[in-house]
Amino acid sequence: MSLLKSPVSALQENKEKLIACFLRGGEPCFLERHAEILDDCFRESFAGSSVGPGMRMDKNPYAIIALGGYGRKEQYIHSDVDVLLLFKKRIPDEAKGLIQEIFYPLWDIGLDVGYATRSLRECLSLACRDFEVLTSLIDARFVCGISSLYSDLMEQLHGKVLRRHGRAYIDWLSERNQDRHARFGDSTYLLEPNLKEGLGGLRDYHAMLWVARATYDIREPRDLEFLGHLSHSEFQSLSEALSFIRTVRNWLHHLSGRKCDQLYFEYQVKLARVLGFKQKNGQQAVEGFLGALHGQMEFLKRQHLMFLGKAVRAKGRSGRRKATRRTVTPGIELVHDALGFESPEAILRKPQLLIKIFEQSAILGQPLSVEASRLVKEFLYLVDEKFQRSRRVIKSFQRVLVAQPHTFNVLNEMLNTGMMVALIPEMKGLVNRIQYDEYHVYPVDKHLLRTVQILKELGDARPDTQDAFYGKLFKEIRNPELLLWAGLLHDVGKSRDGHGHASQGAKIVRHVFTRMGFPGQDIETISFLVQEHLFLMHTAIRRDINDEKIVVQCARKFCDIEHLYMLYLLTVADSRATGPKAWNDWMAVLLKELFFKVYHILERGELATPTATDVVERKKKDVFQRAVSLPRKTLEVLFDQMSPRYLLYTPSQDILRHIELYQRLGQEPFLLEAQASPGTNYRTATICARDFPGLFSKIAGVFTLNNLDILGAQIYTWRNHIALDIFKVKAPPDTLLENEIWARVKNDLRSALKGELALEPALGEKVRAYRSLQKKILRRPDKVVVDNETSNFFTIIEIYTHDFPGLLYKITDTLFRCKLDIWVAKIATKVDQVVDVFYVRDFDGQKVDSSKEIAAIKEAIKETLANGSKEAKVHQ
Amino acid sequence: MKKIEAVIKPFKLDDVKEGLTEIGIQGMTVSEVKGFGRQRGHTEIYRGAEYRVDFVPKLKLEVVVDSDLAPQVVEVIEQKAKTGAIGDGKIFVTSLEEVIRIRTGERGKEAI
Repeated sequence: MSLLKSPVSALQENKEKLIACFLRGGEPCFLERHAEILDDCFRESFAGSSVGPGMRMDKNPYAIIALGGYGRKEQYIHSDVDVLLLFKKRIPDEAKGLIQEIFYPLWDIGLDVGYATRSLRECLSLACRDFEVLTSLIDARFVCGISSLYSDLMEQLHGKVLRRHGRAYIDWLSERNQDRHARFGDSTYLLEPNLKEGLGGLRDYHAMLWVARATYDIREPRDLEFLGHLSHSEFQSLSEALSFIRTVRNWLHHLSGRKCDQLYFEYQVKLARVLGFKQKNGQQAVEGFLGALHGQMEFLKRQHLMFLGKAVRAKGRSGRRKATRRTVTPGIELVHDALGFESPEAILRKPQLLIKIFEQSAILGQPLSVEASRLVKEFLYLVDEKFQRSRRVIKSFQRVLVAQPHTFNVLNEMLNTGMMVALIPEMKGLVNRIQYDEYHVYPVDKHLLRTVQILKELGDARPDTQDAFYGKLFKEIRNPELLLWAGLLHDVGKSRDGHGHASQGAKIVRHVFTRMGFPGQDIETISFLVQEHLFLMHTAIRRDINDEKIVVQCARKFCDIEHLYMLYLLTVADSRATGPKAWNDWMAVLLKELFFKVYHILERGELATPTATDVVERKKKDVFQRAVSLPRKTLEVLFDQMSPRYLLYTPSQDILRHIELYQRLGQEPFLLEAQASPGTNYRTATICARDFPGLFSKIAGVFTLNNLDILGAQIYTWRNHIALDIFKVKAPPDTLLENEIWARVKNDLRSALKGELALEPALGEKVRAYRSLQKKILRRPDKVVVDNETSNFFTIIEIYTHDFPGLLYKITDTLFRCKLDIWVAKIATKVDQVVDVFYVRDFDGQKVDSSKEIAAIKEAIKETLANGSKEAKVHQ
Repeated sequence: MKKIEAVIKPFKLDDVKEGLTEIGIQGMTVSEVKGFGRQRGHTEIYRGAEYRVDFVPKLKLEVVVDSDLAPQVVEVIEQKAKTGAIGDGKIFVTSLEEVIRIRTGERGKEAI
């Protein structure tokens, strides 16, 4: 014994050699070889056993049988080893000794060996009761001992157990697989796929094999092809997929140093390298690797579903008499709840059947038969440019696109058969394209289909659900198919290298839909949606959406409200279809806020109409041309600070003058410039100052104090808190002294701002001294309107009243005392009727929207108006 | 050691992060939070139906630093997160008793 190598140390040595060979890439049949060296070990242990020979093999024959993966010769580096010690009759007492001899040394070297000791009868009755046991026995393989015992076992397993329980077993298998798919269908498993249990994992293949063995008594996997269950090319592809996934799994066992079947992030990059993937077409090696893996697993998953579906149907129908068959449209028929072609020749005669069958599938909610999918693939060469451009083909395609979602996805079937890429070759680079991060859960092609699916679900949202709002918007869209097309192709730019997939994609879709013969306007809409599909989310998260200018700029992108609806829905669907990291309630709220703000601006039409955009652009150009002394960059910065309303309503020569004032302002508290308008008897006084609450009332007060009658005023606040107040005042009666008057105004204003001049008492005297020559006329009652609906950013207060000296000061002072900050104001006087409009926020920068506050403000203003006119009247 | 928590406007994250990286802060926790303070929620009306926006989406930043560094961190956040409008958020500074790095078992300063 000491001279000879023990079977176990031989096993260890062989295994090491085998692994070394595998890592060098020199052992394509590792799994089989691995199982075989285990077989050798068992055989030698058995032969050298001291207990074995005393167990009267002639009286009670026994055998060592490999089960499970070991039985299938699918032995990975760290797989466990399942063995059955089978006895023809009862289990003798010596069996324990044999187990000690054979299995204990294997445990000692750290092998995970599980064994069962059973008699033939126990095995069979257990298999009837417990389908897990049945499953492991289906894979049983003879290792050593009496081989006829193994044959007995398999014969009875098929002849008795499966004949009696076959149907229940297949139902059980199919149910268990559905459970497994549900459990591993979670998005985390897409990022880190489970190679064994996951969707398209090796279990899917095993399940096919079990079903095949139970149903058709198949011995070798190859029989699947020989018996016509798979075509030659399908079997070929299946073998390739299996070989790839198996190699990955074996490497994963090696890298992780344990029986690890889930492809965690930490191993993905390493695996891509060892498997020889290289950076290609702007894709990282790991993205290429994961793309290939997804492709193979997807294939396996589909084969599994088709195969199992067929087996379940076949079993279930065994009692019925005849297949139902009906023609749904010439050339296409429905057989057993699946659509098929009448004959392959029919396709040759009428290639459009290739798309018609998908259309029917979408309309009827019936899937394509396995055979039909296969035929579509084989005849794809018929899809040429003429086919792609055909009106009828595009119409059918569009019907699939807009059809209500079923339990299965027809678009997915179009993608899987290659039909979609045949129709839109631009999508080719997207199939199984992976983006390597934790954010993008799905390959690009799957993500696009999910986006379409989610768009349709949003459109279909029931009124009492969370998504009802989206459903409402969807129904407002006149051409929802344009939105769905955009959803299907919004990431098509990812098929190319380089950055900016949105603009790349916009170019591509222009090309696609021109080829398809879409009207120009529709092409514009789709390419707009593709171009801007990230815009709303970026703005919501990265920009200050409480800044009116940002929102107005955002609104100017949309030619109408419907485009906003479409882009908003696309943004929601795109984010949801990306993965859990790209969408949550938090983002939903941010995005909805932005949506509403943009919506209101578009609905009001004032600031973001195409005309408004034009006007502002023209002014900008004009100012840039004329302000030659200022560097372009400074001008850009300044323009960025100007509010949309200011830019829209201020003539460009005034903007120029304001810029000049602002440049001169420096550390001064304010600058005042008075100008006479030729041929009129009024003056324009422009004040540029650092804004603070109460500024406006102080200016108005100082003007009144100096007998300057205010005819009108415009107040703007730049975003950098620079106030530009433009007053129209009546020329002073004595124009000779005008310069002195303005000097006094500046002086007073300086004192007032410093708090050295108390305006209230000074004005009180003034108003009393101001013997107004107001005539007695019929007064209409004062009106104060507080409007919170027009703007998302400001509360708008409109005041209609009769003019009296110091009115503007009184009103603005009241607003200040109500703790309101004036951002924009328009003051207009017609004869003695005054219309004042103020855009205000409270000192915190918020709109005033509580009904209590609103009532208090109205009350305060009305009181001011009443007192003011009384005062004025008293002194008449 | 101090723990500094700041609730900021979402679009200010990049600025704040950049500012903190510049002064050598390497780690921080960022979470999406919702709440309201003086900036209240509001109601939006679309085609007659009301949509209530109760909470304002914000980001919460957590940074743990040595006490000496805390004033500097606070200053950077304050500066970078400011827009001057309502809802710029708040910064909370608390004293921290202990920090343990689970992997190595390091404690205190070493574990930050």
